Amino acid sequence: MGRVIVITSGKGGVGKTTTTANIGMALAQRNRKVVVVDADFGLRNLDLLLGLENRVVYTAVDVLSGQCRLEQALVKDKRRGNLVLLPAAQNRTKDSVNPAQMRQLISALAKVFDYVLVDSPAGIEMGFQNAIAAATEAIVVTTPEISAVRDADRVIGLLEANNIKKSGLIINRIRPKMVAVNDMMSVDDVTEILAIPLLGVVPDDEKVIVSTNKGEPLVLSGTPTQAGTAFENIARRLDGEKVEFLDLTVKDDLLSKIKNFFTKSI
Amino acid sequence: MPIPKSEALSAEMLKPELHQSRSDDPMSDGSNLGPKVAEAVLTETETPEIDKKINENEVSDSNQPPKMPPSDPNLQVRIKTEKGNLWISLPGELKKEGSTISYAWSEIIQQIQQRLSGDSRSWDPNTPVRILANDRLLDTTQIQELTNILLQSNLSLKRFYTKRRQTAVAVATCGFSVEQQTAQQALITEASTKLLVADPMYIQMTLRSGTEIRHDGSVIVMGDMNPGSVVIAEGDILVWGKLRGIVHAGAGGNAGSIVMTTQMQPSQIRIADFVARGPSNVPAQFFPEVAYVTSQGKISITQAQNFTRL
Repeated sequence: MGRVIVITSGKGGVGKTTTTANIGMALAQRNRKVVVVDADFGLRNLDLLLGLENRVVYTAVDVLSGQCRLEQALVKDKRRGNLVLLPAAQNRTKDSVNPAQMRQLISALAKVFDYVLVDSPAGIEMGFQNAIAAATEAIVVTTPEISAVRDADRVIGLLEANNIKKSGLIINRIRPKMVAVNDMMSVDDVTEILAIPLLGVVPDDEKVIVSTNKGEPLVLSGTPTQAGTAFENIARRLDGEKVEFLDLTVKDDLLSKIKNFFTKSI
Repeated sequence: MPIPKSEALSAEMLKPELHQSRSDDPMSDGSNLGPKVAEAVLTETETPEIDKKINENEVSDSNQPPKMPPSDPNLQVRIKTEKGNLWISLPGELKKEGSTISYAWSEIIQQIQQRLSGDSRSWDPNTPVRILANDRLLDTTQIQELTNILLQSNLSLKRFYTKRRQTAVAVATCGFSVEQQTAQQALITEASTKLLVADPMYIQMTLRSGTEIRHDGSVIVMGDMNPGSVVIAEGDILVWGKLRGIVHAGAGGNAGSIVMTTQMQPSQIRIADFVARGPSNVPAQFFPEVAYVTSQGKISITQAQNFTRL
């Protein structure tokens, strides 16, 4: 059985889908069989980020309604054959699927793949309940903002209540310069409140926007980027590898620490 | 709980201590004052306004100020061990007067799961469970859901008590023993459950944003209270961890109730009918502190070591 991991955040726009696409791709590069599931019915994005929009024929809803077989709906990545996408329906809402159906769908996928990454929609309503229904682990994505952290806290509480005890935290879009002058919450500030194991810290990077628009995950780009390397490290940690962390105790000069860290690991 | 019971006595004794702790702060502006900021800001800056408002309300509306949320713990799922049994009481379907809260089934399930995982020290595995469904209407899938949750926590359903015939039928269909209460019986059980939940409630977990605990006794939290969490107790509230949410002690009107914590950083403290906002800047150092109502009708915070000497 593969690992079923839901990527969630509570707040919208913190980078759930970007994280899913990049971790999925990075794991695939490590020769794992990965399926990324877009659970954001009605507002699907994951296919865009992976550049697979024009290959989507059937969606998860078609599988559930029996209009096609599960294999038919899976879209194989054009660059990495061991990464596939299960797209969400664009023309339905989140109420068109229930947690039991989702569980059925995911457990079928978990038999075949090493990793099932479920990209959860924002919010804590039906869509979220669907996304977490079959998951045994969670990745909580947050940004160093008070509202995102508050929502992440709520979501962690809900995950715990739903018996998903194993969760890792990704702090996305951190700006070391702003942290250094105390204009932004530091990694320590965030982990102190959320109190779950830190899986990775992703620095704010303009190249993320470029890669999103091109439909090409950052981890694929030939020239290494800070954010891309951060995502690769997260995937390695997820895969059980011990990858050295940023030295989080030093706050005054985090930027140089990050630079050192990345040059060391490359 | 050694709370000073007599209002007059405690007030007399509190006063000197209070002035002592404030003596180095100018009364007008309590911001940027270093380690003592917690007490200074809480009592001095803008909070008195809030205090006064609540007081006025109290005077005009006789007893219950309208702004206070309902403290009736029966609005929530309640869990209680007694004589080797674990009692789970579900909130009723009918709205209590004055309140608009009526929880959806998914919220009830969440509450049960949260409480079962946060309070598991209070019972042994395989403890028989008795569920008081009160007037809540349940169908077979919901009962299945309940038993699944109990199974996850190594508990088994022993007996079901309900006031609704349809629920009783559904429970019987699922193969559990059920007792349908008549109105009279229900009254008796309500009275007895009222009695049996007056003990302190222990919660061993981090209370995260959105979690709300109501109890008609004292509440002891072993863990942090994160911003956005709420504890409403009729007795005292003790938080062995960081208090960063909202606490309401003495929710039944007992102004002698206190809030005690190792790290006082609340977004709001309410004691009986009084309200105070937390300080907006974080003090450099934390001490165990106690919040209580002074004789002037303000919520004040003092270091725990001073408080116990009163």
